[in-house]
Amino acid sequence: MKTLAKKDINKILSIWSQKHDVLAPTKMDNGDCIFSAFDEKAFTLDYKKPPLSPKSVFFPQSEIIFRVEKNRYNEVVAAKKALIFGLRSCDMMGIRQASSFMSRDNKDIYYQARQNAAATVVMACPKAQNETCFCTTTLSGPVAKKGFDLQLYDIGDTLLVEIGSPRGEELLTGMPLAEMEESQAKQKIDEFLQNAILTIPEVKSVIDAMNKLKDRKIAEKVWDDFGAKCITCGGCAFVCPTCTCFNVYDHQQAAGEGIRLRAWDACLYSGFTREASGHNPRASQASRLKRRHEHKLLDYNNTDIQDGLCGCVGCGRCSDYCPVHIGTLEVVKAITG
Amino acid sequence: MFGSGAMTNSINEFDAADLFLVTGSNTTEQHPLIGTRIINAKQRGAQLLIIDPREIPLAKFADLHLRQNIGTDVAVLNGMMNVIIEENLYDKEFVTTRTENFEQLKEVVSKYPPKAVEKISGIAAADLKKAARMYAKADKAMIAYAMGITQHTTGVDNVKSCANLAMLTGHLGRAAVGVNPLRGQNNVQGACDMGGLPNVYSAYQPVIDANVKKKFEEAWKVEGLDDKPGLTITDMMNAAQQGELKALYIMGENPLMSDPDTAHIEHALSNLDFLVVQDIFLSETAKKADVVFPAASFAEKDGTYTNTERKVQLACKAVNPPGQARPDWQIICEISKLAGYPMNYESPADVLKEINALSPSYGGITLERLSKGFGLQWPCPNIEHPGTAFLHKDKFSKGLGTFMPCEFKPPAEMPDDEYDFMLTTGRIYYQFHTGTMTRRVSILEREAPEALLEINPEDAKKLGIRNKDKVEVSSRRGSLQMKAEVTERVPPRVVFSTFHFSEACINVLTNSAFDPVAKIPEYKGCAVKVRRCA
Amino acid sequence: MKRTRSVCPFCGCGCSFYILSENDRVVGIEPSPENPVNKGMLCVKGWNAHEFIHSPERLVTPLIRKQGELVAASWDEALKLVANKLMDTHKKYGPRALGFLSSAKVSNEENYLMMKLARAVFKTNNVDHCARL
Ligand code: SF4
Ligand code: SF4
Repeated sequence: MKTLAKKDINKILSIWSQKHDVLAPTKMDNGDCIFSAFDEKAFTLDYKKPPLSPKSVFFPQSEIIFRVEKNRYNEVVAAKKALIFGLRSCDMMGIRQASSFMSRDNKDIYYQARQNAAATVVMACPKAQNETCFCTTTLSGPVAKKGFDLQLYDIGDTLLVEIGSPRGEELLTGMPLAEMEESQAKQKIDEFLQNAILTIPEVKSVIDAMNKLKDRKIAEKVWDDFGAKCITCGGCAFVCPTCTCFNVYDHQQAAGEGIRLRAWDACLYSGFTREASGHNPRASQASRLKRRHEHKLLDYNNTDIQDGLCGCVGCGRCSDYCPVHIGTLEVVKAITG
Repeated sequence: MFGSGAMTNSINEFDAADLFLVTGSNTTEQHPLIGTRIINAKQRGAQLLIIDPREIPLAKFADLHLRQNIGTDVAVLNGMMNVIIEENLYDKEFVTTRTENFEQLKEVVSKYPPKAVEKISGIAAADLKKAARMYAKADKAMIAYAMGITQHTTGVDNVKSCANLAMLTGHLGRAAVGVNPLRGQNNVQGACDMGGLPNVYSAYQPVIDANVKKKFEEAWKVEGLDDKPGLTITDMMNAAQQGELKALYIMGENPLMSDPDTAHIEHALSNLDFLVVQDIFLSETAKKADVVFPAASFAEKDGTYTNTERKVQLACKAVNPPGQARPDWQIICEISKLAGYPMNYESPADVLKEINALSPSYGGITLERLSKGFGLQWPCPNIEHPGTAFLHKDKFSKGLGTFMPCEFKPPAEMPDDEYDFMLTTGRIYYQFHTGTMTRRVSILEREAPEALLEINPEDAKKLGIRNKDKVEVSSRRGSLQMKAEVTERVPPRVVFSTFHFSEACINVLTNSAFDPVAKIPEYKGCAVKVRRCA
Repeated sequence: MKRTRSVCPFCGCGCSFYILSENDRVVGIEPSPENPVNKGMLCVKGWNAHEFIHSPERLVTPLIRKQGELVAASWDEALKLVANKLMDTHKKYGPRALGFLSSAKVSNEENYLMMKLARAVFKTNNVDHCARL
């Protein structure tokens, strides 16, 4: 198996940066750690999951989809060569889920162009990043099974390199690679996996909750209580790696000139389902929350992502960033009570 | 009282309080991420006491919700203090060692026994007693209030009464207690701190103080600084109407929508010889201007902002301003230069250095420190100082805290036979201020596209108004049409609406009668009549 | 995609977020995960703070009223006009005839400069803002 020396990683990223917009874990001046444009001095391997998942690269929060100039329509399909370094396996699963959705029925050309232009380098997860990680339950971690171009295992001074695609292979050309004997590498990976899994216990209640949802056995009060607390921020949908809803709107700049944009939308907003007549099939916040969680845990069951469990990838972001604690884990807890 | 108008405590301390007294603040809608801390605190067992005429969303979580008649806050708070003294629930040690004027307070609040307060406020005596006991007995009790307290002709009295209550029970000078005004706009605190007020320079240094005057004259290398307080915005509008104020330069405000009694403001502005407005959009006020300067938005410039807990934070330039728009600071520098006083700042960082040097509480809030962390809370007098999470720890900034008892006074305009409803105003979750920014965000506009008049079902029935019917609401100052929202959120005989929507801006109706000290107009109560449109 | 630290413009909580930008356009918002005020969270206004920045209705040139209409003008002309008018008014009617309103929506530095302009240059304390409102 190919290996890289950890001390070379900065150099390698600099080389990749020459041809790609590299997004990598970055320690900001103020102490925040987020994914940002690679900067040698601020780059770090000591990072946690950032609020935004990599979907924000393929599907930016706001994006111009066409321009009208002199009354002529011009599609804007923007895609720069990009590389996402250091994403975790849950986010890799998120990309696969979102991509599968965005290429079903009508292909989303904007999404696909950006996705095709972006390489992914996964860092296998050495341990739970915080107490909300449950990727072992959703079958999405701690290491990615496929979808990536490269996956790296940090085993100390050395990074084991798993190649997932020809593009991954290509990324390695000219890099200072070394070799580790296959059986030894396999043993190292097994060890890595064992250690990681120990820190991310399976949350059985997620499965129980899915079954209860399937049997429609949930007291409305569960949703009513959550509905009373929800402040309709939309954050849970925005941080979720598999949420892909958007709203379309126009900016007219002058007669015959303008742009059409799309921007993230959320099923938690009441206007999302309000019909032109004013009627809203999901009139209460409780019903909207119910819908959202059914969608994640139930309807996405048996998706075409055969090796995933459901529409939730177990990253725990909705639990981390909901201001009133209505994440998947809290919902599961309330359902299984 | 005991200091300047700022939160005594910090947002993070909301997580440690045992009881919240929320009054005149629709916290989950106006300060959402403070509101959510109260919701979360409730779930961990904290108590929530709300004093508000409206059934605000937070009321769902309240242990006790007192819905007082509009404008009777002083009576309610005095009534609570009456019970607390009567039942010996006050903090004797705190009162003896840290305060003065207790006897006077005792005398005034003795006139407000629960039965008397019930008559004024409509709050049952038993509930008032319960509220008083809850607040007094809690270990860490925080008061949070907003414009519902200040926007009355008795706004200052309301604030004083909150302070009296906190001092009486010793809920001050520690973590997770205090009197916490939640400031509305993102830099109201900073605008005040920087001396955007007629009577003080930055950091509340009085213009009438000869030493302060001398200090600024030397630092600015000028002579003859004005040593008499200037006019407040409310006074300026009156002066303009009377022809005494000739020219007005407005930066980033929209008084034509945000100020009470629109007709009066309109007249005042048109009476000016010269009006300059500097903004990012052509606001209703800008449309009246002689010159409009295009300004940069927050994303297009560097600068610092001070939040409601006195924390100064850094924001940096992300993109260039559109077209020829320029940051406000550059525009001011240009005007100054042309007026013969060159201001030589290369960047906002240079301005901050001058602020550090001339404003004691901002002395240690340097760019360097701000960029390395998440902000600093004033007072922060020097670069070693860590900033101040809560105020008045061992003593009040003015030594002993003085009880300033107040008597109840009714609102300036009460309903009568003709104008038989009380109108109260506020904001909604999805819109901000006069809507210049939020109404240009499609999702926010979709969620809340129009002004609604909230009216109680009982009244709606009497007037033959159904939900979403068009109604006309009029006061002595003007009249508006909008759709009705029939809801229990407002009590009978009270209607509510907002000032976000220029199509039906409620300030056409509001009364410009204001508090004699703070000059804050009475947005929260005026008399109106309502009828269904044919 | 560039990330620039910023502060939410919509209320006094002071939530901190990063502005995501690409080709000089704001394309999104990411809350600051560690800022003690918001810890990675925002409300609906903060999450949607990206859109108005590029509204086609933004003012892009100075405007001057000519024959009753506001028309586009150069910076040079507009600045001179304003400076002269303010100076004339000051000369003719005294400092008390001038008023300055600073803003609860702009930065500390800008508020400071506005009050300095009023006080140091035009010698008036007629400076206020809309905090009461
Ligand atoms: S993050 Fe929480 S509060 Fe926000 S919309 Fe989702 S469930 Fe509601
Ligand atoms: S995100 Fe919401 S709560 Fe936070 S500062 Fe902005 S408006 Fe206030």
